[in-house]
Amino acid sequence: MSMSQEEIEALMSGAESTEADETEEVSVDAQPDETTQGVQEEQQEDVQGDDVTAETEESTTNTSESEDDIDNIDDMLAGIDGIVDDGSDIEEGLDTNLEQKETKKDQSMEELIDSNQYPMPVKHENKVVNQLNEVADDSEEKASQIFDVLSFILDENNEIQNYNKNMGEFIDTQVLLLDALAKKFPNIDVFSQNLETAKTLVEDSKSLSSKIDGENNKVFEAMELMQYHDINRQKIERVMAVIRKLNSYLNGIFEDDNEKPEVQIAKHISGDSNDIVGADDIDSLIAEFSEEG
Amino acid sequence: MRILIVDDSSTMRRIIGNVVQQLGVSKEDFDEAEDGVVAWKLFQEKNNYDVVLTDWNMPNMNGLDLVKHIRTADKKVPIVMITTEGGKGEVITALKAGVNNYIVKPFSADILKEKLDGLVKG
Repeated sequence: MSMSQEEIEALMSGAESTEADETEEVSVDAQPDETTQGVQEEQQEDVQGDDVTAETEESTTNTSESEDDIDNIDDMLAGIDGIVDDGSDIEEGLDTNLEQKETKKDQSMEELIDSNQYPMPVKHENKVVNQLNEVADDSEEKASQIFDVLSFILDENNEIQNYNKNMGEFIDTQVLLLDALAKKFPNIDVFSQNLETAKTLVEDSKSLSSKIDGENNKVFEAMELMQYHDINRQKIERVMAVIRKLNSYLNGIFEDDNEKPEVQIAKHISGDSNDIVGADDIDSLIAEFSEEG
Repeated sequence: MRILIVDDSSTMRRIIGNVVQQLGVSKEDFDEAEDGVVAWKLFQEKNNYDVVLTDWNMPNMNGLDLVKHIRTADKKVPIVMITTEGGKGEVITALKAGVNNYIVKPFSADILKEKLDGLVKG
């Protein structure tokens, strides 16, 4: 259970006396065991679905064919006077075709995944730990960018505060001047009117200053809240550590210590289904084969 | 006041740096390290820090080991552990290793200011 800051304070003050009584619950071993993991990842890297490769080859062939078509059309158009080539229609058409193909491919893959028929191919981007790592790194990068924005706001606010301070000081002198003039020339209305305006501006300046302070406090609050990014990252790292341990454990438990060579597995064994050939079927097959021979 | 800030999260280093700046410490007066190894190297090279603020869980060398290393070379420099580890056992382990104060994340700027003030005055 986590301790509050007050409990820590209490503990700090009484640390000396409690030290002897407490049994250490040290769990410093937070570093994940990575030695086996790296090797296992490398082994899995080579496993690829044949259909994925086939699809890639097919799309490459289609694209090269389409490119040939474009070259031919370009040659034909070049021979006709008065035609201005903006190239947009053909390229747009090709792009749309490719996009449609990609969307169809994505949809069919999604359907297969939804019906538990298509496990994700073991690729770098599909490995769970890699994905979590990527999320943590992306999040760190974005958090840093958010911090840059907040720092910029603070810097700008400080600058605005300085401008405001300078203006406030100037208006203060104007208030003194106008006050003296208004007292000396009470019949001239413009002095007393400007004095009132200057006094209002002094108040506005104070109000602006307190608004900027309030805004700065909110920015500091946002910066404090960004600590949760670090806390969440550590939670992700904890999940990653569990997965790594699990991976290591499962690899260990399924490991084959025998040095026996792998035996080719039987495809149809009695009891598997009704498609197994019977003795009669075998005899007739042999007879058929002999006739052909 | 010379301060060494040690945390593997760049965001956390900036948050702590920001609080430290609010206390009047200029950017030139604090150094940052992303793990215990870098921090220990900086500590040995500069040997002039007034306070060390360190995280616990970091790659390469964790904060606890860093504290132990620092304590072999310097018994006096105040060290504050700033970490997500909020267990009683962890606090005691850190104190035994030579930490002077302990802050659990997330913390408020006021808490860090208060602790730093206490260490500097004390």
